[in-house]
Amino acid sequence: MLLRFGFAILLAAAAVGPVWAQQDPDKQSGQQLVENSIDRWNRMSPAERERQLAKLPPDRARMIRQRILRYNQMNPEEQQALRERYQTFSQLPPDKQEIIRERLREFRTLPRLRRPVVHGEVEQLRLMPEAQRQTRMNSDEFRNRYSPQEQQIIRDLSTYLPK
Amino acid sequence: MEPGVNTDMGAAAATLDYDAELMLRVKEGDGTSFGVLLEKHRASVIHFVYRLVQEQAVAEELAQEVFLRVYRSRSSYEPTAKFKTWLFRIATHLALNWLRDEKHERGQERLDEVSGDLPVRQVCDRRPSVEQELVYQVKLEEVRRAVAALPEKQRAAVLMHKYEEMEYAQIAKVLGCSESAVKSLLFRAYETLRARLAHMETT
Amino acid sequence: MNCPIENRNSAMLVAHAAGELDPLAARVLEQHLAGCEACRSVAAEQIAMWKALDAWEAPPVSPDFDRRLYRRIGEGAPLSWWERLARPFRAIPLRQALPLTATAGLLLMAGLLLQHPGSYAPAPAPHSQAVRADQVESTLDDLDLLRQFGTANSAESVHNDAM
Repeated sequence: MLLRFGFAILLAAAAVGPVWAQQDPDKQSGQQLVENSIDRWNRMSPAERERQLAKLPPDRARMIRQRILRYNQMNPEEQQALRERYQTFSQLPPDKQEIIRERLREFRTLPRLRRPVVHGEVEQLRLMPEAQRQTRMNSDEFRNRYSPQEQQIIRDLSTYLPK
Repeated sequence: MEPGVNTDMGAAAATLDYDAELMLRVKEGDGTSFGVLLEKHRASVIHFVYRLVQEQAVAEELAQEVFLRVYRSRSSYEPTAKFKTWLFRIATHLALNWLRDEKHERGQERLDEVSGDLPVRQVCDRRPSVEQELVYQVKLEEVRRAVAALPEKQRAAVLMHKYEEMEYAQIAKVLGCSESAVKSLLFRAYETLRARLAHMETT
Repeated sequence: MNCPIENRNSAMLVAHAAGELDPLAARVLEQHLAGCEACRSVAAEQIAMWKALDAWEAPPVSPDFDRRLYRRIGEGAPLSWWERLARPFRAIPLRQALPLTATAGLLLMAGLLLQHPGSYAPAPAPHSQAVRADQVESTLDDLDLLRQFGTANSAESVHNDAM
């Protein structure tokens, strides 16, 4: 009996190991955050980081360094929120991720004054029950208010972008 | 090899050895060599597949699959043929499979559909006029349709011969047939294409 | 020379149109063409057709082709040793796992404190988990997209503080 209990403890220790390894002492929000590649990058030794960067063209390596620096210097609350959104996004199936990326890239190309309008519509639709969302997107008002490209962006982001 | 046809066997042999050598390094775990092979062959694989399937997004997806298979089979790689031959054998196999699946799903009409996938014209020193651009697009569409109308193996052979400048022997290895079969494929393909395209004025 | 058309051997004419004949062979063929209307006609058609095919340019390759490829390569990478170890134990029912986990956790904590009293420091990333620079770049791209959409309701320019 004692032997069985001891063996069970060993097994449980192995099971809990990965969760332990992923605990982040800085975690503050309700969502438990898993390390993303930037976290792992930050934990690498400087020598290893430089070795990886050396494999890329110098300009590209320089850009990556700068971007990581900007990310690390973000306001902690802002960074936390972003990490949570990214984590939810990265758990989606790859094809859904790709749709979202495509639409977010297109969103970026919209005229500046259109972006908050489109953004607002997406946020509104995401809060609606499905039937209501469909009614709204099929309405004349919606079609008249947004260009075909904007409609597609709104449709896909409200469907797939994680909350 | 046809008499009188120029080849540079020395350089070709050196190229063969170098690509195969790089792939052997990838087999040993050298990821950088994979990057070099990718850099060298990326465009030609994508363009070849694009001209076969005539959809850019699909071409890139299939090309990704080609390089993925190259990478994943690195541990069993043996340089029994030129690296490019092996690469294009994978690419042709995937593209032809896709075409057959597409044909089964949508029917032959799809090949003659006007595609929105027309490439952006490379603008030279002088911007073409609207009329010139229109003429260009019409010609391009005719070329695309003519190639799309070829049977798949003829299409693949033409694309390898014309755009990749591959020799008959190499094309034969890619398609898994004899050199004389490749000559026959190309003879019939060019005969068909001459009939459809030779009337086009060239500027 | 033997007439290519009569001998059903148009390879010479194809090579001629492609500019692949060496000067001597080209001269011989051109002498033949001067006296053979059938070959001259086919040669002219072949040249015209060859030029038509020349005009068919393929679209440029997407700038993120390599990034997507490396991501797919990474997705097919073998599991880390933690993940392989934990896999068989995920099916342990919760009511059995909890007390075992708690006990194991206490044992692990005791072990760690005995080794490193008073401090917690995240272990450096093992070499096998080194992150590639292009993976980090990919994450930065996604974070950028998500962040820019998230701030769009304030009508910020997408060019402000992109990561």
